[in-house]
Amino acid sequence: MKPGAAVALLAALAAAALLAQHLAAVAVVALVLFAVCLRAPAERRRLYLFGTLVSAGALFLLTPFIETIGSHPIWTGPIVPVLGQLDITHEELTSAGLNALRLAAVGLAFAAYALLLDHDALLQAVRFARPAALATRLMPTLERDAAGFVEALRGRGVEVNGVRGRAVLLSPLLASALERGLNLAEAMEARGYGRTGRTSIPRPCWRARDSVVVALAAAIVTAGVLWL
Amino acid sequence: MALARADRLTFTYPDAGTPALRDVSLEIEPGEVVAVLGPSGSGKSTLLRAFAGLVPHFHGGRFEGRVEIAGLDTRSARPAELAGTVASVFQDPEEQIVLSRVIPEVAFGLENIGTPPADILRRAHEALASVGSEHLADRAVAELSGGELQRVCLASAVALRPKLLLLDEPTSQLDPGGADAFLEYVVGLGIAVLISDHRPRRVLEHADRVLFLDAGRVLLDAAVPAAEDWLGHNRPVWLGASGNGRVPTQGEPLCRLEGVQFAYRGGLPVVDGVDLELRRGEIVALGGANGTGKTTIAKLAAGLLAPDAGTAELRGRAAMLLQDPSRYCIRERADEEVAVGVRGDRRRALAALAELGLSGMASRHPRDLSTGERERLALASVLVTDPDVLVLDEPTRGVDPQRKAALAELLHDGSERRATLVVTHDEEFVRIVADRSITLGRESLLV
Repeated sequence: MKPGAAVALLAALAAAALLAQHLAAVAVVALVLFAVCLRAPAERRRLYLFGTLVSAGALFLLTPFIETIGSHPIWTGPIVPVLGQLDITHEELTSAGLNALRLAAVGLAFAAYALLLDHDALLQAVRFARPAALATRLMPTLERDAAGFVEALRGRGVEVNGVRGRAVLLSPLLASALERGLNLAEAMEARGYGRTGRTSIPRPCWRARDSVVVALAAAIVTAGVLWL
Repeated sequence: MALARADRLTFTYPDAGTPALRDVSLEIEPGEVVAVLGPSGSGKSTLLRAFAGLVPHFHGGRFEGRVEIAGLDTRSARPAELAGTVASVFQDPEEQIVLSRVIPEVAFGLENIGTPPADILRRAHEALASVGSEHLADRAVAELSGGELQRVCLASAVALRPKLLLLDEPTSQLDPGGADAFLEYVVGLGIAVLISDHRPRRVLEHADRVLFLDAGRVLLDAAVPAAEDWLGHNRPVWLGASGNGRVPTQGEPLCRLEGVQFAYRGGLPVVDGVDLELRRGEIVALGGANGTGKTTIAKLAAGLLAPDAGTAELRGRAAMLLQDPSRYCIRERADEEVAVGVRGDRRRALAALAELGLSGMASRHPRDLSTGERERLALASVLVTDPDVLVLDEPTRGVDPQRKAALAELLHDGSERRATLVVTHDEEFVRIVADRSITLGRESLLV
């Protein structure tokens, strides 16, 4: 499958999840995307899945306390200054579940994009988008850098544990990314980047299968708008 | 007519107190292979960048004099316009890779210089084959070892068919066979090459001429035979040492790998059936072709990886220096960085910095140090822990021969307290530092 068609399909699934109103429909989309992500190597997918599921879980837990909708209370709590009375209604829970699943679906679609697609081939189609190719590589590069820092610390007998231990790595990671960016920019300029008259590798032909995938993507979005 | 010319070139980086290059004048003829030697910080990399047009366009700074490449004045021609006429390979391959797969990466420069689309793939494959890496064509760059990445960078440069090739430590991550093959290939291209390397012996075998820089000045510009005479009299360590004449003591075994197997992420085993024993007092060098699992064995020996099969026994504390010195830039100051491994003990950190010749750098940010200084900072960060098993992975990358000799001496001095494993492609360093050496990929291995 051409990466462009695959991106269209992933984007359609994410869009359908955002447009759909039924909890079950969004759950199915999220599950499909989760299954797609499982095709990536376990080591690489761990961070993406963890980030997505934690974000979705946090949204599910917080939404009922922030929203005030519905008239079927499940639990009524104390009055808290600023927030007012805490309560959870059936409608708030449904809304929280829907939003959490939507967030999970969008996160998983991005994870599938980052983990499984050939970004070079994809962005070759968008010829002006070389910076986008580099941006796409940012997460995997940061992952590798973070793993390198942790390994270097372990090599000195220092174990990195917990959120606080890893938070120490944020500043060096940022510095490392900036330094790498400068070095890369220098190397790119030395290799002629920015010169006029650029050409590109001939692209493989668009096949019938790719058209079917794009049509399927359009159908999914339509279904998301009309029926889901 | 000269292909490239520097005329009274003096260059000072922004915010630097002293010039990186001082009054440098030289000419490079078509097809000439010129070795650029000199200590760390002597201006070798800056000279190469001046011929690529990156100095001053990319770096800024104060530029006096003139540099011309094939008739183009680098003050008016930008580096991108020189690409194709000039091609560069820098020290760190990981920081030159733009794309995520090998063939598009090699093709990147070809696309930029406007190569006809029908020729791009063919030339990319040819370039990969020419550096012995055609088998990498369909791989993702994230899966490649440092040496393999280096070859991809070399292929990317060679694919442009430049008139002048600028190579900044191009063989630092290649195994000896690969380095020889590469240099032979480069010489066979018939194009002008400016090559900076901290392993001079191999480069001298292939060069026509030698430049020796110190503190930004050209101290020597001579043909190889005359340069060897000059180096013999003035900088003998640049011609290499014959051996270390050390009589090692062998104490109790501190690390033992038996029948060890390891595979990353459920892939094929990177090492399989490996045995290794390290005893207190000895320094063992581990070499072998790129991709034979040297780093993996080093990590198994240091306890950073656990074997999938076989046994790995470690007695006492182990410490390991990784290949990439930028992994030792976590803190804001050099002394704080070194103190990380000793629970913030600043006194020990300062002593370790002094041992590595970095006394004056204690308050500097690790990222403000040069490549060679960072390498020494990383080493200080590991040595300060005073481990029983010390594992060093390519500790001489970016380190000049003078510093290598000092490093060997430093390792010898503390060797009776620990077992030391040095993973390196640097044969000259093996000669001066190791008591015994093991080469992977040749029959069985190890003892």
